[in-house]
Amino acid sequence: MPRPFAKDSATLNAISFDQILRDQDPFGNPGGRFDLSGVKLITPGALVQLAAACYALSLDGRPVQITVDNDDVRTYLVRSDFVSVVSAVAGFEPPIAELTYQVYRSYRGSNPLLLEVTKIERDTALPDLLDQIIMTLRERLYYPKYDAFDVATLVSEICQNTFDHNQQTCGFVAMQVYRSTGAPFLEIGVADYGDGLAATLKRNPKNLPINSDLDAIMRATEAGTSQYDDPTRGTGLYHLLDIAYKHRGSVQIRSGASSVRFRMDKKKGWAFAGPPMPGVQIVLALPTKT
Amino acid sequence: MNKKLMLGEYGPHLWTRERAREIRVKAEKLLRELKPGESLVIDAQNVEVFDFSFANELFGKLLLNLPREYLDRFLIIENLTTYTRENLAKALESLNLAAIERTGGKLKLIGKLHPVDQETFAAIEKAGEPITATILKERLGINLTAMNERLTKLAMLGVIRREKGVSPAGREQYVYSVPGR
Repeated sequence: MPRPFAKDSATLNAISFDQILRDQDPFGNPGGRFDLSGVKLITPGALVQLAAACYALSLDGRPVQITVDNDDVRTYLVRSDFVSVVSAVAGFEPPIAELTYQVYRSYRGSNPLLLEVTKIERDTALPDLLDQIIMTLRERLYYPKYDAFDVATLVSEICQNTFDHNQQTCGFVAMQVYRSTGAPFLEIGVADYGDGLAATLKRNPKNLPINSDLDAIMRATEAGTSQYDDPTRGTGLYHLLDIAYKHRGSVQIRSGASSVRFRMDKKKGWAFAGPPMPGVQIVLALPTKT
Repeated sequence: MNKKLMLGEYGPHLWTRERAREIRVKAEKLLRELKPGESLVIDAQNVEVFDFSFANELFGKLLLNLPREYLDRFLIIENLTTYTRENLAKALESLNLAAIERTGGKLKLIGKLHPVDQETFAAIEKAGEPITATILKERLGINLTAMNERLTKLAMLGVIRREKGVSPAGREQYVYSVPGR
């Protein structure tokens, strides 16, 4: 039986998601299970990681079961479109009837969710998504134009990386504003379940040797490190950190069995080992501009 | 005669490498129609934002290809906003490239540059006609070796023109100029 989520850490975020992977080992079990009992809040970063994990497990035919006991969380999973995004690959315990709730469209009202969990399958879908992000930030949060452009540019660079790394898989993105605790901030989660940074960068012999997932993450943030032998490639994550630094935000980049958390107010990154998971998962937290 | 590509025709928000690739194909077609010394002007009027992938694929690849495939043809970018200029400058810096920007009828360089490169470019532009390294070094107060190094760098970046000329004494020499406006 998987160990349920610890009651004393009721928030499932990009960091505590590793605890789930470690304790419940969904990738090591024949039936992929996520027991979210005790979870009272899920962040966008964790939502997209969970979506990517469900799709990764489905690749080898494993039926995924997600146990959620908290009614608020169950409602949130529907309203954030998570339930419909993973419906083809995951079921819920107890079952969630989508019709019970109404999906709350992010571009209206006061809902802090600014962008529902969105599956991105090809880069031709990106321009509309990025324009929607700009419109939402401008109209809902009254963002200055250039700051909204910066956020959309960040999302664009991360999402294009997703398509660069992967052939048969897709990515997920979600965005939410947090206003209630301390300084308000914006959290953006982008996740995929593809080959990951180490395998991708190893396709280019110029990058060798790459000794670990951590090595791959650090190399990927340097300008010019790419799977392609093309001098105009390999700047996406470099510019991501540059813009995050400008906005004094933080960035977590996770790939394979490592993650690095860059705190831009400290101009520093901290590395952590974690349980392995396919793909690349990135979470951005940026102080809001209004 | 210079050719112009109106970037704003593709929309105010230009995202993704894929989008840039379509536009680059059209830009390269125009470059092939140019004669030596002529320029392709990319007019960014009405463009509010492009991402780094777009900038790398369009401007980065065109600039990289200029000295190799379109020798003596030039790229001039105009009507950048504060935002698009900043992003283009960052994109070019990360690629170790530079581009010519036209603002208010004047040419200047943006991208990966040392202040002395800007100074050299400005001195060539100010001359108003092709100028030799010997004359330039006197105007800038530096030695000939340093002058030649600066000129070689700018020529390799594809932002100045280097042609063979003849000195009054009948000797072969190189003359340098900026693209015609």
